[in-house]
Amino acid sequence: MSQRVAYVHLPRFPVQRRVLEEPALASQPLALVHDAKGTLRVAFASGAAQREGIRTGMTLTAARALVPALRDGRVDAVAEVQALSSLAETFLRFSPAFMPSPPDGLWLDASAASLFGGELGLVDRLEAQARAAGFRARVVLASELFTARALARFGAGTRVCVDPGDSERALAGLPLQALEDAPDVVASLRALGLSTLGELGALLPTQVIARLGAQGLRAQRRVRGQDGSRLLPAALPEVVEEVRTLEAPVESLEPLLFSLKSSLDQLSARLRGRQRAAVRLTLTLVLEPTGPFAVPLALARPTTDPKLLLDLVRHRLESVRLDAPVATLILTVNESCDDRGQQGVLGDAPAGDAALETVLARLATALGPEALGSPVLADDHRPEAAHAPGPFRPPRREPGMFAEARRALAVEAPLPPDWQLERPVRLLAGEGEPIDVELDRLGALRSARVLGRRRAVLAIAGPERLGGQWWSEAPFQRDYYRVHLEGLGPAWLYRRAGEGRFYLHGLFD
Amino acid sequence: MAEASAAGADPAVLERLRERIRTLQAAPRQLLSVLRTGLAPVDGVLPGGGFPLGQVVELWGEPASGRARLAFRAIAEAHRALRLAAWVDGPRMLYPPALPPLGVQLDQLLVVRPPEARQLAWSALQLLRSGAFAAVGLDLTHTGVRLSPPESRRLVDAATRSGGLLLLLTPAEAPADGTLRLHVMASGARGLRLEVVRSRQGGTARVVDVPWELLTPGAPSDLGAGSRGLDAPPVPTEPSLPFRRVRASDLRNGLIGIQGQRPGRDLPLPSFAQALGVAP
Repeated sequence: MSQRVAYVHLPRFPVQRRVLEEPALASQPLALVHDAKGTLRVAFASGAAQREGIRTGMTLTAARALVPALRDGRVDAVAEVQALSSLAETFLRFSPAFMPSPPDGLWLDASAASLFGGELGLVDRLEAQARAAGFRARVVLASELFTARALARFGAGTRVCVDPGDSERALAGLPLQALEDAPDVVASLRALGLSTLGELGALLPTQVIARLGAQGLRAQRRVRGQDGSRLLPAALPEVVEEVRTLEAPVESLEPLLFSLKSSLDQLSARLRGRQRAAVRLTLTLVLEPTGPFAVPLALARPTTDPKLLLDLVRHRLESVRLDAPVATLILTVNESCDDRGQQGVLGDAPAGDAALETVLARLATALGPEALGSPVLADDHRPEAAHAPGPFRPPRREPGMFAEARRALAVEAPLPPDWQLERPVRLLAGEGEPIDVELDRLGALRSARVLGRRRAVLAIAGPERLGGQWWSEAPFQRDYYRVHLEGLGPAWLYRRAGEGRFYLHGLFD
Repeated sequence: MAEASAAGADPAVLERLRERIRTLQAAPRQLLSVLRTGLAPVDGVLPGGGFPLGQVVELWGEPASGRARLAFRAIAEAHRALRLAAWVDGPRMLYPPALPPLGVQLDQLLVVRPPEARQLAWSALQLLRSGAFAAVGLDLTHTGVRLSPPESRRLVDAATRSGGLLLLLTPAEAPADGTLRLHVMASGARGLRLEVVRSRQGGTARVVDVPWELLTPGAPSDLGAGSRGLDAPPVPTEPSLPFRRVRASDLRNGLIGIQGQRPGRDLPLPSFAQALGVAP
């Protein structure tokens, strides 16, 4: 079966991107220039600039002479390609693979169109996705790479679907300019008086070879819908990262958050495209001139919600004091997991997750991240080492009816081991506190001085002998007793072997 | 396909489905109204049959009177309902290995340990206000913190607005201002005594005794199978397991535990009842 590809054309992509980052530039004459043999020449011009007569290839000096109010900026080819690839990742929700076509387009594998209501449905969704990201786009779906690209760039329609075998007819009305990678052929054809691709397609191949050679024949085959080139899927970068260099260093929070919002939107869209959800991120603020300043962001629940992430960042940044203005923002996803999505049921609003993340961020900011956590049990006989702090990552909240169903099917948790039934809820730090005790002549415990006063022993149970780690530098050997003390309740005492002294280690509160 | 099915469906069936959807949408979103401890004597004396959500429940008493276990049994009920809980650990003494036997899911429990005592009430307030936690524990034992009236009011207000339960553990010497105040005290070796000191829903001055072994399900009973109580001190003449000195041979040959077990735990412990001299 022949391939089906969709081409998403983003007219003047670098300009659109610049306007998206700086909305004040909208409807302003804007030119992005590049260095051509020591001369700054216009590479991309906004619609307003073009209406004023500014054209691609014009020198910046000439453009400024034409439009004194012209705004200009340098175009970074590498950054533009990266931005295009980042945007392409957001389309992976609809397509298994993409191939960038710098500077302003990309091909997508359309083989999964049946999942989105057919090819027309896919075209609609791709255009809507681009619009949601803030870009104007024209989308064409066809069987050949050339057909899709030429119609998207030089055709009239915004959303076009070319049936298999209909490419030649669809391309016939396009100007010769559509043969962008064969300028010599275009010049020769113009010299011959041809003006459309249809006229080139109608020529006999022998005539084309005789006059234009192999390059001309290749161009004619494309025009006839016989382009044999295949889509080569681009490799995805392993680390999801969004880098944004600010127009001017920023000193206050609000403009920083404005820039962060668009970066987070893009990052979230990329994660959704990969069907991943962020678990741990790092926001690196490159300060000028002191250097990078990292702000780690840990999430209790994996998410791709940009609003939630922005709230989290806001809370963290409100308490951060920077000693220099921010020149560049870098958002890196350090850890992610499969995003299974969340299906709302009958008005069930997923507001709980946002509230949870917000309060965790607020507490982490005020108390320090080490003050929050969820305990994890450790395999250790030494009681004080039998647990460790871990990150708080509760299971994802399930919407109403699913939760009800799960609760109904919940199985009883396995019984805890016997030793765990005899552990106190409160444990004193370290090895506990040494206490004074009174023993009778036979060695039985009669009273103990605990929490400030001497208390009679009402009952005693034990011992439970805990020992080990004889191979280490700190072996331990303890006989633990549960002792009911007058006016207190049950306490956990132990007697250290060798030394023979008693320690208070826990309280069965 | 779906439209065709819908078009051909029985209007009565569709109406029943619509009615079902209306019922589900109208159902209250908050399924829990109280968090039960699962202990019949305790739930019996509490107004509503458990710790009411949307209130501040104060458990006031000695640091080993069983207050924390009562609180965690309520938190376990929240976990069974797939809700989250948080614990603000003022004395930094919480021992997590004791919690799973009470039914607590450690991965659904957020433990907050503020570095300064003055941040305890603030942390609990933030957790309550978020509405993300069904139950929040605030342990003020051994912290020297006494809640001021404005702080108490703010906590009560946050609990009421968010519908969460604040479990406030206060020391015997510094009671706070809980909506429902329960005095918990150790009643000898037999169990704990719980008294309802203050309640808006009535039931004040109710007292109940709870045996210790009920607090942790499956835990060994200090009372033994016999009927003799343990309030009397242990028999002084023949201690079943006297303390003994560690001999040099033990250190040389490796320590041999009770009933010959090796260090660690590979044999069940002897019955505590036997150790206490209670008839089995």
